[in-house]
Amino acid sequence: MSANRVKDEPESVGVAGEALLELSGVTKRFGGLVAVQDVDLQVKSKEIVSIIGPNGAGKTTAFNLITALYRPTSGDIRLAGKSIVGLSPDQIVTRGIARTFQNIRLFNNMTVLENVLVGQHTQLKAGILGSLFRPPAVRHEEEAARQRAIELLGFFGTALLERQEEYVINLSYADRRRVEIARALAAKPLLLLLDEPTAGMNEAETLEAVKYIRRLRDELGLTILLIEHKLAVTMGMSDRIAVLDYGRKIAEGLPEDVRRDERVIAAYLGRPAREDQKAAIEQQEE
Amino acid sequence: MSLFLGLLAAGLAIGSIYALVSLGYTMVYGIIELINFAHGDIFMIGSLVVLGMLINVFHVTEASHLSGLPLIVVLVVTCVVAMLICAVLGVVIERFAYRPLRNAPRLAPLISAIGVSLILEDIGKFIIGPANASAPDVLPRIHYCIGPTDPNQGCLGMDITNIQILVIVVAVILMVALQWLVTSTRIGRAMRAVAQDREAAALMGVNVDRIIAITFLIGGALAGAGAFIFMLSVGVTIFNIGFELGLFAFTAAVLGGIGNLVGAMLGGMVIGLIRALVTYIPDKDIPFGLPHGGVAWQDAIVFVVLILILLFRPTGLLGQRLSEKV
Amino acid sequence: MATLMSGTLLPPARETRLLVIKWVIALLVPLLVFTFVWNGEAAINQIIVGLFIHNSTLGSRYDWTTLIGATIFFVLFYGLLTALAGYAVAADSGRQNPIMLWISMVVFTVVPIVLISIVNDLFVGISFSVLVWVPYFLILRFWHRSRPAVASALPRLTPLNSEEQASLVRRAIAGGFWFGLTFAVLSLVVDLIYFFSGQYGTDSGILLIWIVLRTVLLPLAGYFLGRLSGGLALRHTLKANGKKAQSSKEAIDPRLNPSLLTGLSASRSREEARDLVPNDAPLNSSGARNFYLVLLFAFLLCYPMIDPLLFGPGTEGRLSLYGDAGRYVILALGLNIVVGFAGLLDLGYVAFFVFGAYTWALVGSPQLTVLTGLVSDPHIWSWLFWPMVLVAALIAALWGVLLGAPTLRLRGDYLAIVTLGFGEIIPIIAQNMDKYTGGTNGLSGIYSPAFFGVQWNVSTPMPYYYLMLFLVALVLFANVRLRDSRLGRSWIAIREDEIAAASSGINLVKTKLFAFGAGAFFSGIAGAYFAAKLSTVASSNFSFTDSVLYLSMVVLGGLGSIPGVVVGALAVYAINVLVLAGLDNIGSDPASFLHPGYAQLQALFPNFSFGNIRNLIFGIILILIMIYRPEGLIPSARRRRELHHQAKEDEEVEVGALDATPGSAEFEKEVRVE
Repeated sequence: MSANRVKDEPESVGVAGEALLELSGVTKRFGGLVAVQDVDLQVKSKEIVSIIGPNGAGKTTAFNLITALYRPTSGDIRLAGKSIVGLSPDQIVTRGIARTFQNIRLFNNMTVLENVLVGQHTQLKAGILGSLFRPPAVRHEEEAARQRAIELLGFFGTALLERQEEYVINLSYADRRRVEIARALAAKPLLLLLDEPTAGMNEAETLEAVKYIRRLRDELGLTILLIEHKLAVTMGMSDRIAVLDYGRKIAEGLPEDVRRDERVIAAYLGRPAREDQKAAIEQQEE
Repeated sequence: MSLFLGLLAAGLAIGSIYALVSLGYTMVYGIIELINFAHGDIFMIGSLVVLGMLINVFHVTEASHLSGLPLIVVLVVTCVVAMLICAVLGVVIERFAYRPLRNAPRLAPLISAIGVSLILEDIGKFIIGPANASAPDVLPRIHYCIGPTDPNQGCLGMDITNIQILVIVVAVILMVALQWLVTSTRIGRAMRAVAQDREAAALMGVNVDRIIAITFLIGGALAGAGAFIFMLSVGVTIFNIGFELGLFAFTAAVLGGIGNLVGAMLGGMVIGLIRALVTYIPDKDIPFGLPHGGVAWQDAIVFVVLILILLFRPTGLLGQRLSEKV
Repeated sequence: MATLMSGTLLPPARETRLLVIKWVIALLVPLLVFTFVWNGEAAINQIIVGLFIHNSTLGSRYDWTTLIGATIFFVLFYGLLTALAGYAVAADSGRQNPIMLWISMVVFTVVPIVLISIVNDLFVGISFSVLVWVPYFLILRFWHRSRPAVASALPRLTPLNSEEQASLVRRAIAGGFWFGLTFAVLSLVVDLIYFFSGQYGTDSGILLIWIVLRTVLLPLAGYFLGRLSGGLALRHTLKANGKKAQSSKEAIDPRLNPSLLTGLSASRSREEARDLVPNDAPLNSSGARNFYLVLLFAFLLCYPMIDPLLFGPGTEGRLSLYGDAGRYVILALGLNIVVGFAGLLDLGYVAFFVFGAYTWALVGSPQLTVLTGLVSDPHIWSWLFWPMVLVAALIAALWGVLLGAPTLRLRGDYLAIVTLGFGEIIPIIAQNMDKYTGGTNGLSGIYSPAFFGVQWNVSTPMPYYYLMLFLVALVLFANVRLRDSRLGRSWIAIREDEIAAASSGINLVKTKLFAFGAGAFFSGIAGAYFAAKLSTVASSNFSFTDSVLYLSMVVLGGLGSIPGVVVGALAVYAINVLVLAGLDNIGSDPASFLHPGYAQLQALFPNFSFGNIRNLIFGIILILIMIYRPEGLIPSARRRRELHHQAKEDEEVEVGALDATPGSAEFEKEVRVE
């Protein structure tokens, strides 16, 4: 009995330049509150696209809509041309989307390796009978899974490899982020959603994160959609940036253009605690 | 028809008792999100207190024929004592079995509640033994008829006894009093605040521990009052009565919307009615009746109701809120 | 951070001597108590006499199976202890204070043996021992906390060279040999005293021969067993090849890859270090665990044979009771899947047990004739038991899925209540549909299983005992396999964080239904066994109290921990059935030491008996455990961290399996996923 079949490759995978993810007119209402309003977004294959915007702008909601934790009130979301609205979150993973969370959701009482093994759930086939009897096929599968998990950990260097038997609760924040990404990678996604991957990191850690995020696209061929608050990070890393404010997309385009866009500056200016952002932007101008 | 109406009266009477007990469940769940398994057993202890008061303190027997002032004294004192003891019991239980577990995962206080329930049941068994214990009839049973009377067939309308009326009246008075307490007093406001957001309430200066203790106090008192009118009307108790009655009362709370006081009262009535009306089902094989008749299936049907509500309308009939609107 | 022990060589000869003394005394004292204070010696003598003399007063009352089985056990028992002595000497790093070890050994082994021998009841004796263990444990903990913290070092992480390895084996041999020799000499002395005071009577001839043989063989055995243990200890040291690990298994084996240990946090590396030699507490290591497992295995298998020798008459009754304990173990293991692994709070688990029991009851009894008109020949039909166990389990599993399906959308507390409702409804249905189920009086005359040459009926508990052992072994095996599989991981993931699990590709509905089904499956097995053994099944056998009982077994033992749940089940069963009844027995016996106190209590409270306050005691235990040790008796390592871990400030509230399921309407209203 197999639970999830190994993911079939969608037709238009890896062809750079074609839209991998497409949001059309996506709206999400929670009772009276409109969290996301009529958002259109296209992410092309092998792009790194950032979504930025003030707090509460609906960025994480957008992620939750894409990964089916919420269902859109209206609008469509397509992956490689096929609609993914109405699927369950695990089906989204099978289709090829994986994500990380803003507040890191690891399985705290499992080891690093076990977390990544769970991430491979959709890649493995063993069902209840296979788990009970452990025929050679299942044993090979488990062994291969462990190998792959170690490889994935190795993507980030030796730090995680040395700690693979450690319970994730004992790791540093930056390491936990990496484990979460490794877990997401374990599902062999086409599209990776990163929700504030550098949150809580200092400069050095942030630079390192930027590097490995780029490597995710360059070496593994992933398409990346990320939410980010640190403007320097987004400006440096993204191919394109989309800006949300109060649930609407108010700007989109190349980083330099977005940075100068008046509506974007106004959106940030309108918040009292955003003076530093504007100052940062202006500093870049000079 | 009159049978139906009679069942209606009986259902409302027992439903009032369920309502009083279910208020304790709904309040506690609303405030600390715990299903207080021991609440039904507090009711049981209350029934034992009533027994003790009537038999050992006031020496009421079948032949007593109390009336007038002595009767009122007996009734009021018994009721008050039962309410007091149950209230204190509730507070003590919260203090020692639930408070240490307030920050533990949900399973822990649940198991602890089950432990308290076991302890109380054994104490009950210790006091009155494993068999039923009956209370003497304090009030003479007088039948009233609401509706037309027929010289041959008796009452054609609703046949209701004075005791049933007393039960419903006492319950309603208490429920109104509770509603007033929760909506119009400072303590009530504090209770609602703690139920909605414990941390914010604490930041606003509410002594959360005290409010929770008060919630248990009130819940216990209501259970004690329920036990009082229960012993007046049904008159028989047993050491493990708390378990099933508690379950029915909890069903009532869920039916009305957990955390919602009016809902609990309503739910109690509905459950009482359902149980009473179900006895109407004849003893035949499905589909025209049920084996052994509806009487044997009363409990099961309440559980079916519970399951159906939770499946199709988990927020209950009136929705979940700790008394937003009257 | 982990600190490494400075690279000291293995201790020189004098140190070896000290270690030998330390461990020989540590292990010899309980062994001597067992042999001479309790019935060990007497039992062995009876075996010898029974095996070789047929007309003596001592030996004639035991049959061959008893004698042979008991022989096997005692050989294994003494042999394992000797080997353990060797292993401990080899594996000890020498840092632990011998006095502390001796005190602990006395408390944990001598005390229970003495108590068991006094009350002549295995479980009552153990319960009294618990009363000693708990304060001792608390005192120890208090004492440890009041001393300054000593950095516990890891064992040396440089591999042992061949000379050091040989030295290790030599130590083991020394340990085994001296243990055997000392024991032989001491037993010789004691036996000579017995002999010369004429206690052996007419059997003294054969016993003398035995004594001489023993005195010679024991040290020899000690030598060889010590060598074996040395080899075992070697397997747990770091290998000297120092090459980089090849396969991934090697990559994560700390024995081959010392960098792994240093990379781990202090607590985690200590956990791993427990498996390495040398070791600060060799009795806790995984090497020693092998000994315990073999001993436990032998004990369980041979118990029916050694019981009459150790406890005297009444074996049949005891066997029947102990066999029933296995049923609870199976139920607890099944419930552990639902509650412990997947985190679904099931309060109505008894329902599936009912299905299992009635499945066999309806098929394997005269009731079948009532229902279908088929007339069944008991002798042939009894063979149907074996396939029917599987069928009963499958039917129970099916109902597990059916009854679990409605609960999937519910949050934790409501899930509990719905399952409770089902757990109440099913027995009511069983009671009221008495045309099929026999109602309150139930069905009787249910067939026992059939097996070659074995007679099964209510008065022969031994076949049932072994059947139960077999079933428990099967269920344990299945559980361990499930836990360490893809499915088991997905269950634990769901319990940890449903949202993250769903976002990692785990289908919540399917996985939860599997949990319900798998849990119910084992319950069905237990139910079929129950029906066959008791040969009657009535609706009054089942109630919510049972569900509570099963839940408390799992919680007490340690949610999600397989060994914990087994211990929890045995503990709960012991308390509920054995200990309290045993206390009543002992208390009523005018000759026992409990009687005066017992009689007084009865004078004060007319209703008093230990059986009557069972729920009271149970309830108190539940509450105390929840407050002071919520992770259970033998927690899975995860759980202990889960419950005692202080939430960090930047961690959000965990949305576990107790809250609304992602994707449902309720979920969106309640949770903003960030």
